[in-house]
Amino acid sequence: MIIRNLTALLIFMIMLFFLVAGNCFAGELDRFKGEKQVLRISGGTAHIPVMKEAAKRIMTFNPDIRITIAGGGSGAGIKQVGEGLVDIGNSGRKATEAEINKYGLKMIKWAIDGVAAVVNPKNLVKTLTRQQLQDIFSGKIANWKELGGNDKPINVYTRDKASGTRSIFWKKALEKKDITSRANVVVSNGAMKTAVNNDPYSIGYVSVGFINDSVFAIVLDGVKPTMDSVKQGQYTVARGLYSNTKGDVKGLAKKFIDYLLGPEGQKIALEKGFIPVS
Amino acid sequence: MKPEFFDRLFNYFSWGCSILLVGAVLTIVGFLIANGYQSLNLHLIFDDTRPLDAIFLKSQVFDGLFPAIAGTLFLITLSIIVAIPLGLATGIFLAEYCPPKIKGSFSLLFDILAGIPSIVVGLFGFCVTIFLHHYFYTRLFPCLLISALSLAFLVLPYIIRTTQISLETLPLSVRLTAPSLGATKLQNIFYVLLPSSLSGILSGIILSIGRCAEDTAVIMLTGAVATAGIPKSVFSSFEALPFYIYYISSQYSDNSELMKGYGACLILLFICISLFVFAHWIKKRLSQKILYRP
Amino acid sequence: MDVKETIFKSVFFAASILSAGITLFILGFMIVLALPILKQGLFFDMLTGPWAPDHGLFGLGPMIIGTICIALMALVISFPVSLGCSFFIGILNPRGLGKWLKKIIESMTAVPTVIYGFVGIFFLVPLVRELFLKGSGMCILSAAIMLSILISPTMILFFVQSFSMVPQNDLNAVDALGGNTAQKFFYVVLPHSWKGMLTGIILSFGRAMGDTLIALMISGNSVAFPGSVLDSARTLTAHIALIIAADFDSIEFKTIFLSSIFLYIMTSFGIIMSRFSFKKRKTINET
Repeated sequence: MIIRNLTALLIFMIMLFFLVAGNCFAGELDRFKGEKQVLRISGGTAHIPVMKEAAKRIMTFNPDIRITIAGGGSGAGIKQVGEGLVDIGNSGRKATEAEINKYGLKMIKWAIDGVAAVVNPKNLVKTLTRQQLQDIFSGKIANWKELGGNDKPINVYTRDKASGTRSIFWKKALEKKDITSRANVVVSNGAMKTAVNNDPYSIGYVSVGFINDSVFAIVLDGVKPTMDSVKQGQYTVARGLYSNTKGDVKGLAKKFIDYLLGPEGQKIALEKGFIPVS
Repeated sequence: MKPEFFDRLFNYFSWGCSILLVGAVLTIVGFLIANGYQSLNLHLIFDDTRPLDAIFLKSQVFDGLFPAIAGTLFLITLSIIVAIPLGLATGIFLAEYCPPKIKGSFSLLFDILAGIPSIVVGLFGFCVTIFLHHYFYTRLFPCLLISALSLAFLVLPYIIRTTQISLETLPLSVRLTAPSLGATKLQNIFYVLLPSSLSGILSGIILSIGRCAEDTAVIMLTGAVATAGIPKSVFSSFEALPFYIYYISSQYSDNSELMKGYGACLILLFICISLFVFAHWIKKRLSQKILYRP
Repeated sequence: MDVKETIFKSVFFAASILSAGITLFILGFMIVLALPILKQGLFFDMLTGPWAPDHGLFGLGPMIIGTICIALMALVISFPVSLGCSFFIGILNPRGLGKWLKKIIESMTAVPTVIYGFVGIFFLVPLVRELFLKGSGMCILSAAIMLSILISPTMILFFVQSFSMVPQNDLNAVDALGGNTAQKFFYVVLPHSWKGMLTGIILSFGRAMGDTLIALMISGNSVAFPGSVLDSARTLTAHIALIIAADFDSIEFKTIFLSSIFLYIMTSFGIIMSRFSFKKRKTINET
């Protein structure tokens, strides 16, 4: 079986060099007809699932379009679009005044999201106050026992400084208190979810859109972070998801963002766990 | 203390270490195979797209490994195309023309190049790209071409070294025959010396291909991205197998994605080990042929 | 005909200059990019200080300590194992099994580092976490274990090569005098081969220091000075990979040039040392 597949693989490798192109088939995607360019997207890692799904639909409709998606975090998204390295730079936070002025950025908000502290589903600790959360992240509380859990040291996970998720969590949940330098650093929302899922004694934070049964979202000051509680404003650690462009949006990038803001794009955002803006 | 005691200790120690290391390797490979063999099928590579459609680019593969495999192949091809002529020419110069005085400093430099951590080479590629983007050509981004060039620098010392050594270790009888019959130095190099040292050079090249296939640090800085499809030109971003493995390992969202990661590991491991075995086979076959030529 | 000779000769020469130039150009470029930091005279503060961007501290101290700890520990684990394996191949060689072990070890050089990292995350990290019941399992120890597997082929192949350079006559003489294997090793093999072994050790250390993926994937990447082998730590290479994804005109970004200059100089220094210790070395094994 393996051998047969590998032979098949080999044949494909050879054939790969004989390239041909073709065409495919409608509705909201019609605006992408006749486009041929490459659209480069990078930045916020919370955005990636929505970007991937939108890209998949667009490229299935029109195979001549190439949409490339990279991560990096909000900071990278803003800088890269500012420097002209990508067409759309995503961010999970608003660009600062300085960034907007320096690069002439245009921000488009297409969804609302929350940031929740998460622990492994096996963890006995399910609720925390803001004060407790701050003490955990600063390293003051170092054992789950102190919070009514098992007698295990707490493993704190955080993101690098470029992360928009980190900056919102730090501002609104930790109220700008320090995060211990002993914290493990991971590179994206996806990586955070994976790390917390793999480590039974961990705590981290992810975009609410990423929460499923592989991690447990901590009830913070009595409010459970869900799409509804974020939408109704009870859960306050919330933010917009932005796509930024340099100068006015035009060309394929405009079509892409229009698509995100349209009914189908908004539906994708909803399916991926975010709150549509329209 | 009896002498036999040392002997026995020495024996146990050697056996123990060998078993430990081989055990570790078997554990690694076994772990990958045990977890990943189920995912090895066409679906892994092409997802729901029909294989022929994917190969002829009629439709794109989104959740399969096809774009990553294609990206890796393009990458290898490009960097080898750059590295071979440069490496061969340098190797020939070092072996045949270089005055002994400067040979030492040249080889020291190539040893250093071989020792530079690959991420530093990647950073260099990235910065040069940003620099050019800023001051010369605003349509230049980190892309396939940049990755390939950076990788070419990375494997250059291997090709140089194997070329140089294969040429230098040729027996004098081979080296002197053609010139004594009136051939020029250049004719001697191209018609006698290079063909005679082909096996060494080829195995060096194949090992470099293996290095291109496996390196992750360089490409993650110079243009490999999470989703790109088949690259349209050398100026576009691309996917690659090793980067895919790294990406999945840190951010798989469900078990089926993780399984794809295992599958990708097995495919990459297979590619690299086969290249290695192939290199050795060529070395052996060709050197036999040369030895037994009538 | 002469013209053709000259043309080709200059082409070959140009290629060599280009290849050699790249090596120097990489260092030069990094230094130019790090100049803004170097000019501020903060060089030594940055090499030793702590990393806390929120408080305006951009020291690489934790990363340098982390790099050295992980690489040294990989070496400490790998050295005895490599020594044992090379005895097995070069001296004992029971029933010709040595040849097979050598083949396995040679093919290990072809295993991609990202695969070691992948297996590290899903196999070793949970194991270390459950075994030591402390920390997340992403720690210096896990990274060092995986790195030691990565560097052992380099070390073993160098050891075996230097053992093979021991004159057979001397070995036979020991046998004839009734010496045992240990005596053979300490009085004949070691004096002949320690230089080659040292080269192997230095180059393996450079390889351990220069690897990015294993450390990035399984050492945890925290920016604290590590206190024990079960603490999470960040290497310079992982630091470069983490920061570059983020930013490119802040001070943080400029520190990665400092990191690469440091790595460049350390590895070059190792190579120069190994040249002095062992001039006859003929092949470059995996870097």
